Amino acid sequence: MIETQRESANRITFYLNGKLTIETIPAGLSTLDWLTQTKQMHGTKCSCNEGDCGACTVVIAYPKEGNIVYEAITSCLYPAAKLHGRHLITVEGMGEPERLHIIQQALLEHHGTQCGYCTPGFVMSMFALFATHKHPDKETIFSALEGNLCRCTGYQSILDAAEEIAANYAPADIVPDWCRAVEQELFSFNQAATMILEASGSPRLVQRYMVPEDFKSLFDIHAVEPDSRFIAGGTDLMVQMNISRKSFPILIDLTRIPQLQRIYLQQDGLHIGSAVTYSQLLDSWIVKHDYPALHKLISQIASQQIRNFGTLGGNIANASPIGDSLPMLLALDAILILQSELEVRNVPIREFFVSYRQTALKKGEIIREIILPPQPRGCFIRSHKSAKRKSVDISAVVSVIRVEMDGSHIGNAVLALGGVAATPMLSAVFGTMLNGKAINELIADDIAEAVKAEFEPLSDVRGSAEYRSRLIYTHILAYLDELKEVLS
Amino acid sequence: MKQNKHISGKLHLTGRSHFIADEAPINGMLHAKFLFSPVAHARITKLDFSKAEAYPGVHRILSAKDIPAANMIGHVIKDEPLFPTEIIMYAWQPLAMVLAEDEAVAEEAAKLIQLSYEELPLLLEAEDADAAGEWYVPERKIECGNVDAVFASAVHIMEGKTHNSGQEHFYMEGQRCRAIPFEDSRLLLQCATQSTMEVQEVVSHLLGIPAHDIVVEVPRLGGAFGGKERAATIWASMAALAAFVCRKPVQVKLTRDEDMRATGKRHPFTSLWKVAYDDKGKILAYDLQLLANGGAYADLSVAILERAMFHAENAYHIPNARIRGRACRTNLPPNTAFRGFGAPQGIFVIESIMQQIANKLGLNPLAIRRINAYQNGDITPYNQEIKECNIEAIYNKLSDNSFYQSLVEEVKAFNSANPHRKRGLGIVPVKFGISFTTALLNQGSALIWIYIDGSVSVSTGGVEMGQELSTKVAIVVSRVLGISVDDIRVESSNTQRVGNASPTAASTGSDINGNAARIAAEKLREQLREPAAKLLEKNFGFSFNPQDILFSEQRIYVHDKPEASISFKELVSFAYVERIPLGAYGYYRTPDLWFDREVGKGHPFHYYVYGAALAEVELDCRMGEHDLKKLYIVHENGQSLQERIDLGQIAGAAVQGYGWCTMEDLKWDEKGRYISANPSTYKIPGIRDIPESFHIEIMPSLSKEASVFGSKATGEPPLIYGLAVFFALQDAVQAVKPEAQLSFPATPEAILKAIY
Repeated sequence: MIETQRESANRITFYLNGKLTIETIPAGLSTLDWLTQTKQMHGTKCSCNEGDCGACTVVIAYPKEGNIVYEAITSCLYPAAKLHGRHLITVEGMGEPERLHIIQQALLEHHGTQCGYCTPGFVMSMFALFATHKHPDKETIFSALEGNLCRCTGYQSILDAAEEIAANYAPADIVPDWCRAVEQELFSFNQAATMILEASGSPRLVQRYMVPEDFKSLFDIHAVEPDSRFIAGGTDLMVQMNISRKSFPILIDLTRIPQLQRIYLQQDGLHIGSAVTYSQLLDSWIVKHDYPALHKLISQIASQQIRNFGTLGGNIANASPIGDSLPMLLALDAILILQSELEVRNVPIREFFVSYRQTALKKGEIIREIILPPQPRGCFIRSHKSAKRKSVDISAVVSVIRVEMDGSHIGNAVLALGGVAATPMLSAVFGTMLNGKAINELIADDIAEAVKAEFEPLSDVRGSAEYRSRLIYTHILAYLDELKEVLS
Repeated sequence: MKQNKHISGKLHLTGRSHFIADEAPINGMLHAKFLFSPVAHARITKLDFSKAEAYPGVHRILSAKDIPAANMIGHVIKDEPLFPTEIIMYAWQPLAMVLAEDEAVAEEAAKLIQLSYEELPLLLEAEDADAAGEWYVPERKIECGNVDAVFASAVHIMEGKTHNSGQEHFYMEGQRCRAIPFEDSRLLLQCATQSTMEVQEVVSHLLGIPAHDIVVEVPRLGGAFGGKERAATIWASMAALAAFVCRKPVQVKLTRDEDMRATGKRHPFTSLWKVAYDDKGKILAYDLQLLANGGAYADLSVAILERAMFHAENAYHIPNARIRGRACRTNLPPNTAFRGFGAPQGIFVIESIMQQIANKLGLNPLAIRRINAYQNGDITPYNQEIKECNIEAIYNKLSDNSFYQSLVEEVKAFNSANPHRKRGLGIVPVKFGISFTTALLNQGSALIWIYIDGSVSVSTGGVEMGQELSTKVAIVVSRVLGISVDDIRVESSNTQRVGNASPTAASTGSDINGNAARIAAEKLREQLREPAAKLLEKNFGFSFNPQDILFSEQRIYVHDKPEASISFKELVSFAYVERIPLGAYGYYRTPDLWFDREVGKGHPFHYYVYGAALAEVELDCRMGEHDLKKLYIVHENGQSLQERIDLGQIAGAAVQGYGWCTMEDLKWDEKGRYISANPSTYKIPGIRDIPESFHIEIMPSLSKEASVFGSKATGEPPLIYGLAVFFALQDAVQAVKPEAQLSFPATPEAILKAIY
């Protein structure tokens, strides 16, 4: 049942298509709903309202590590309160019919629009892409556009337009002056957001959306409102609101707390703040260089528009049995730093998932950081994600193998799996069957059979139990083949 | 010739194009939310609104008892109520409608409606419904030659059963309608429909008011693919009923998940077949039974079944054929039109058979298709003569473009060198009949106004849904009047301007509406000849024969004196002064169409579109995943009105067909509820799924049968090219396990199941 009392709204300051804007945002309202329902700006389209189609893509610009970044986001899942201090760019800010932007002109020339409903989303995804990348290759174009569905064109014309822009234009041509004009103001932005009481006539799923900027106020709020929920990127909570109409009376946003946004290297490994986005991880040179398997797996999670605000911490806390990053963290033996008002404690991720969507997190406790232990040279780490579609799909089975050699023998081997049990799991038998053995002693079939027998996956819409069992088996065969090849 | 751009392109690209209900609410507007049935087949024992009505902010709750006239939205077959009064027929059937000024209020209140029911036995599969005799109409049959005699003496006989699954339309813009009451009992319906006439007619019967009290207006659709041909009517009727009863503007706008759960899809077909063939692979006789899973109400199922039957032999001459079809009533949401309209389902069966015969005889997929190909002069099973078949030339081109012979060798070499990766090739030809098979629908109208400034407004009954019908209509008018497309505005489809419009469907949009617009424009041009001669004479001092006057590139002149010309604008303002009519109405009906259902013979199609596709895949045999390496298409389409538009249609349809047969996995549970009914579980192709090499060649032809300015339809036929990928995957699977049969759709799961 939706409550109608104790409502408040966020009074925030940001830029909308180049203009400074001060707005009162009803608690929990998505950027898309704010645009279309409050501002009556209908260029941004709603097609699925759950982050799967990209029709509602808009771009946000904000300072990050000394630069202004332009990032595409699915506005349906992006709480409008997060816009504070940022620049929101929508299709209305791009060209006009008789003065098209370069991107729009290219799409027009290549017939990259048919019914037009997905088109504004594509324009905005391409804007973020070309505002950030000079001469992106096809893979980068795919990454930027894989989150935009089009049912009419078959994409070829859109790809042709994108490749033409990639060849001929640089970010300097793409980012309009009015965007550049705002950039300095974004760097020096220091206005405070406030909360105001505002009774709305409409029943709402969220009464208060709190955005603390330090740990003290975070835990103070939680102490007063023990039933509040923490929200990081919100890419799953917002789906629960938009689609399941689930009510979250009080949400506490973690993404403005500086300690949660850092990536830094320590002796015990790479520390990743829980509010670090997938895109930040993908951009991180350390991740790319030291944890390439993690990098690859993250690049396969969701779409660019989701990776730009979805967080690793959120994926862990959400504890879905099919959370794509989780088997990797299990395989890497990641450590979680959990923090509450009175305590900071370390919990190995291998002890974190208790049962279906239940974790070791206590009430009022957040994930502060994830520590990825350093990986020895030559450590064999691979992942495979099995899904129906090449991208932006949830896996039926996702697995990660990690094998550390000890001379000519296997020192330590682990296999982590998602989608085969109520939680992401480590195989118990895999290690026992491999550890201490020489590569040529391994009988791949026996190992694959034994691990397959260890799990009793469920049947659901993404795959039958038999299929999932078969995938466990084939994933292992493929890994062991590659392992033999790499070592020989 | 200058290639015109998408006439709405600049609007789409700047987010300024107008889509229904994506605009500010009208003051006092009510939002509708529904109570959807949680079960697929049940008897309603209680439907109590008292708690819901008491919810603050609820304006009204409507159900069957509030319908002023007949509770009937069935069109051809009258079997579908707007709200069920007693028996629920499918899961997510709307049972009641809650109206409130606040959408969230309506949604909350709908949850408070108390529903009790007794569940009834379910029929979900076509075969079960068929066994129970649940057909909307008796079996349909098309027969030629002597099938039984051939089977009695045939050397090779093969029997089998094939199945294809359904497909969700996934138009990007969901179902929606805004109904606005005005003056007395009248209604303006801004409605996302492909069929303005049907909505008008159904609403008229539902409310008991004449058609002229109902104005249906469609600016454009954000995709439809058949999903708004019939399936839009129920939502339009809901909005119309509420606006009529409440005398307030009402908006019905389904969410994506509601849309995916409650609306009908492409028909799953189960087909039982038997085929006789000779040593060379020539098919001698074909005995086919097509069972269409039609869902809870007839909708368009019978017409869809018929089109499947008309395409059962695809591009092959089969002298002895018995094609029977039964459309079966099940407890799924009423299945409906979807690009191809049964043809892809019928074609899939014969293509599966071709593949199996080729395997048996060791023929390559192209060879067997050539052996069986139609030749001019052949007669189809329904007795229509084949006159302009160019499938042989298409095969040659496809073979050349893809270097087919060396490709076959490369694939062989690759497969013998790689134990865990296999490549496969698939070929599918298309012969697609153009015309509504219900002959009466093959008519259309256009209304053109030339305003006195020389700008032109064109209305047709056609609906713009991304197929760029409006661009094509503008091109037609610009050619007739010799003016620029930029001077032509193609208007919304509106029943006040063009009444009795057939649905924009069956790929006939540009044929019918383009021809109607051509005829109207030609009338105007003829009317302008006299004033043109007069004005030329006035300006240049010598006399002109009106019949010699040319209208070209905004100028009016005679061939041998191009320097003595007037502009179109000058002519128009002169003609107005001269009191010459500057408006015209054009009417077109497709000639020579008939079909006798009783005997299964006739001439149902104006012409055929031909083409063929070749796909190459590389399969990861362990994971069941594949890469679509190549898709080559050769498509014959007369004299294209605008090649880029047609290329866009071909690419889009092929990718849609590819999605259907590989990744779009439509599933329902044992209770008949769709469970892959959201975009996180139902996957349509994304940009990474397109072929690594996508080669489309449009083969122009000088068809005498073709339509407006020698052009041919493009909307539906190319969907079938996507099936080439299915057969390529089948080929790759059989490289691992020769006897394996791949099930539909070819998901990684299905592929692994076939192999292991």
